[in-house]
Amino acid sequence: MADEFLIDDSDRAIIEELRANGRATNQQIADRLNLTAATVSARIRRMEDANKLRVVAVSDFSAHGYNVLLEVAIEVDNRPASEVAAELAELPQVFAAHLVTGRYDIDLLVVLHDFDELPDLLLNKISKIRGIHSITPSIAVDIVKYKFDVAPIEAREDT
Amino acid sequence: MTNPQLDDLDRQLIEILSHDARVSNRKIATSLGVTEGTVRGRIKRLQQDRLIAFTAITSFGMENSSKLAFIGVQADVGDVQEIAKRIAELPLVNGVLITMGRFNILAICLFDDIEKLHEVGSDQILALPGVHHVETSIAVKTIKYNGRVVRITAADHRIIDSE
Repeated sequence: MADEFLIDDSDRAIIEELRANGRATNQQIADRLNLTAATVSARIRRMEDANKLRVVAVSDFSAHGYNVLLEVAIEVDNRPASEVAAELAELPQVFAAHLVTGRYDIDLLVVLHDFDELPDLLLNKISKIRGIHSITPSIAVDIVKYKFDVAPIEAREDT
Repeated sequence: MTNPQLDDLDRQLIEILSHDARVSNRKIATSLGVTEGTVRGRIKRLQQDRLIAFTAITSFGMENSSKLAFIGVQADVGDVQEIAKRIAELPLVNGVLITMGRFNILAICLFDDIEKLHEVGSDQILALPGVHHVETSIAVKTIKYNGRVVRITAADHRIIDSE
């Protein structure tokens, strides 16, 4: 990632305000930081336009009815791991797919509405992808914490 | 993990706000064909029920180019909840799952400096009573990631009147 996008202390302060309350108005942020609303607006827009910042609603797993979360470690053979990961990423149940170092090659987070969906996913979908040598799932019995302020940001398709 | 009853309007609201939280209630109301009061009320309820939270997400690679790592932890089964809570308080740790499988606990970390990551895994987590083994695996490439779905905890539960 060749990143030349620079931000200064005011940008950082604005980000902190937005992390605490993404729905704060430009004026509210401006008042707290001793800036003008126009400056706040322009700075947010600059970071958003560069795909460096998104001010969004995040929603809880339960809002989507995701009752089952699995971490699945995958070993690959006879095929590049990145190709296998790309195929896995196409499955809607795959919530996150990462190429990782260590004993396994791909780490997945998988979400399901119900355990009934598991056999089809493991046996008919994941197992059928060429190059998968082993699948080692772990069931998340509790999500103690799961919130990321930093994430890949996709370009915004204008709606 | 409950499955609360959300109706279509709730889901449409979440969809709109997950792209941009700074859209005005008026604009949302117009596009969904409901009143501004309805939008305001629904948003408030979704926040109160800890189903949504408004926040800022910054890009991987801005400033301190953050990378992701998974730390698998084997810990005494009887103390696993207490240990998981303590791990969740450590720096860099953004996600903690209690799991059944290779590990009892999976900690997901964002890091810039590999030494600091090692400190969290091999010094701080490993030093917790009841922890026997940690295994760190670094994500070298993100193929897919959904940053919009999270666990909203009491700490995120701030009701702020937006308008």
